[in-house]
Amino acid sequence: MIAELGHFALICAFILSIVQSTLPLFGAQRGNLLLMLSAPAAAISAAVAVLIAFGALVWGFLQSDFSLALVANHSHSTKPLIYKISGTWGNHEGSLLLWILILVIYGAVLALRGKAMPLAMKARVLAVQGMVGVGFLAFSLFTSNPFLRLATPPLNGKGLNPILQDPGLALHPPTLYLGYVGLSMAFSFAVAGLITGDVDRLWAKWMRPWIMAAWCALTLGIALGSWWAYYELGWGGWWFWDPVENASLMPWLAATALLHSAIVVEKRGQLKSWTVLLAILAFSLSLVGTFIVRSGLLTSVHSFASDPARGVFILGILLVAVGIPLALYAWRGPQLVTAADFSLKSREGGLIANNLLLVVATAIVLLGTFYPLGLELVTGARITVGPPYFDATFNPVMGGLVALMAIGPVFAWRRGSTPRLRAVLIFASAGAGAAMILLLLLASGVSVGATAAVMLIGWLGAGIVTDIWAQIKPGQDATGILGRARHVPRDVIGMWVAHFGIVIFMLGAVGDSLFSSEKVVRAKPGTVIELAGRMVTFSGIRQINGPNYQALAADLAYRDKDDNIIAVLSPEKRIYNAERQSTTEAAIRPTIMGDDYAVLGDGDNKIGFTLRLYYKPLVSWIWGGAVFMAFGGLIAATGRQRAMRRHAANQQTHLASERGS
Amino acid sequence: MTQPRLSFLLPLLAFITLAAVGATALYGTLTGSRTPDQLPSVLIGTQAPQTPLPSLDQSGSGAPVDLGRFRGAPVLVNFFASWCAPCRAEAPALEMLSDRVKIVGIAYKDRANDTMSFLEQYGNPFAAIGMDVDGRTGIEWGVYGVPETYVIDADGTVKYRHAGPLTREVIDQRLMPLIEGGGS
Repeated sequence: MIAELGHFALICAFILSIVQSTLPLFGAQRGNLLLMLSAPAAAISAAVAVLIAFGALVWGFLQSDFSLALVANHSHSTKPLIYKISGTWGNHEGSLLLWILILVIYGAVLALRGKAMPLAMKARVLAVQGMVGVGFLAFSLFTSNPFLRLATPPLNGKGLNPILQDPGLALHPPTLYLGYVGLSMAFSFAVAGLITGDVDRLWAKWMRPWIMAAWCALTLGIALGSWWAYYELGWGGWWFWDPVENASLMPWLAATALLHSAIVVEKRGQLKSWTVLLAILAFSLSLVGTFIVRSGLLTSVHSFASDPARGVFILGILLVAVGIPLALYAWRGPQLVTAADFSLKSREGGLIANNLLLVVATAIVLLGTFYPLGLELVTGARITVGPPYFDATFNPVMGGLVALMAIGPVFAWRRGSTPRLRAVLIFASAGAGAAMILLLLLASGVSVGATAAVMLIGWLGAGIVTDIWAQIKPGQDATGILGRARHVPRDVIGMWVAHFGIVIFMLGAVGDSLFSSEKVVRAKPGTVIELAGRMVTFSGIRQINGPNYQALAADLAYRDKDDNIIAVLSPEKRIYNAERQSTTEAAIRPTIMGDDYAVLGDGDNKIGFTLRLYYKPLVSWIWGGAVFMAFGGLIAATGRQRAMRRHAANQQTHLASERGS
Repeated sequence: MTQPRLSFLLPLLAFITLAAVGATALYGTLTGSRTPDQLPSVLIGTQAPQTPLPSLDQSGSGAPVDLGRFRGAPVLVNFFASWCAPCRAEAPALEMLSDRVKIVGIAYKDRANDTMSFLEQYGNPFAAIGMDVDGRTGIEWGVYGVPETYVIDADGTVKYRHAGPLTREVIDQRLMPLIEGGGS
């Protein structure tokens, strides 16, 4: 009964979205207030309806209602509670519903907030948002109905792919979707702007917080996915250049470019058509991301829900959602061109360089991901290009971006350098030199690429610190550091934090790739293995009975030089009863300075067990850096909200005092 | 005015091209016509390249891997890498094949440590493993990417090449007849 209610709510949401995508557009064109006001009303109602539908599906999973085909195929009564809930989106139909839920929630938030936003703009943006909703609700209802019933319900479910039964993966899709779908807001602003041809500074001002929010979520989502791959796949690696990973990286790169170009539109009224194009591109790439994962077109270690028949529908949505805006762009774009009124040596110039590099990086990832597909069409071969390609192409471009990151923000708008520039250049160069000397002392035979990466860390780190100091050091006017710091705009602080996140991320990546130690041994109980200054004693194998799996666990005692036990790690090999699949569960002891990482391989007591032990210095900084980046974005986004509110409040008091006098 | 308008059309044209590629691929998958075909290779019918490669040191022998060693019986040459996702998918098929024919693995652009972890996790079906660290051997063989598999007959002649992971169909219909027919 509850499932039918959910299905009905989903149909209601579909109809509401059709209303949301038509009436307000009409109203905005005619200046009809009532029709325009239907946009927020429809957006909020659609959000409530999808929330009911999603709730009904979660309920089905919680109750283990195996008369629902989806629950029977993807759940099991012995599964722990959290995985029953996360099982809701651990499959195609459910994850699509989650996608839609996030989409309509974004729409509802826009409907509820932004009271000061011009109504016609709001109506148009919500209408475009509604169109995206119509497409995906139709996709869900017509090809991927999550509420299908089975005529003869099984006694128990088939279970969830064991590799997905993991706390990291319970969180990963919602966060990633928050980012993917968040880009639909930027897309809706872009298309709404193209419909009227009004793309101006105000438009950018309203759009930027949404880009920021989507970018923060995307950053965290990718970091979570990488972290999951690190501890769950048992490889010790954190990024595999896998098509599914690339699918999330491409929108991130485009969104990062968009984030920066929107600043130019807001502050200077330049780069309008480019920003519109980037917004369309960023959302298209999120759609392509969905398309790749769902269609089974590309081979991936992460793909878990694929069906080519649905690819047709997604391709159809993609054609409409990207084709029409691009046609609009071909028509309206020329009107958005402004004459450049800045020299290349300016903040605008730096941001344009940033955009070019990011777009080239996006193209590189796109090519590396789709070249195998193109080749497959021509020759029928299914292959991967893999890290050798990306190391040689993607890394240098991103290196250029990092080099630019230290000095770009120091330039002034329009033209010329600031007095800070010289200091930043000197200290950044000194930082790069110091980093290189440090590397020469610590390691030998390091490749050119890695040396450049280390120098860039020094360059950017020192550059940011110099810029911060230049802006907050006590001045002649006797204001202290804190006093001056309070006058630094929140977006600048956010930028510092986010850019410093890159430094932290690179420290992690370099530390891991240059200084990792690894040992693969076949060991019998009692064996002692030496690794990176630690003595590891393999004390034996235990049998474990988990809630829905059986496991073998190895006990490894880690001792430091003074023979004190610092940790006991127990990597496992699990066999899940319902799914008859096995997984390896790496045991990890994460510390700030580095991770001890252990994996149990095959073997028996007679010949011994294979153990794979790693020590990975600084590896957790990789994700720490991503958290910093997202946090920086959050600081900037909330700062803007406050400034806007203060601005609105000032105007109100101003009006009140005028009225009072 | 024509000049700027044209440049604003470019994104649309680029997108239509990409979409056409995607649609063709999808259509192929749906109709079942997109199955791995036999790849033409200039090597077929000629002697397999003789390139001794440094061995992935497992036994401690460290003798270079040389195809000449396997003369007298058909042999498979499989290019793989630890960083390649389809190779993981193909591992069980190779494992099964290894009972019936000797397989020489060539780890393409891979690091020895990573290769060992890969074999550790997905099984080692190989009679010998050569390390093609810089990918030069791959160029000599003309590999498109990994995985890629070659059938070499008893005289060392290349008989067949398959790019992409081995499937049941390819093994049953292409590889096994060649291997059981003595590779001649």
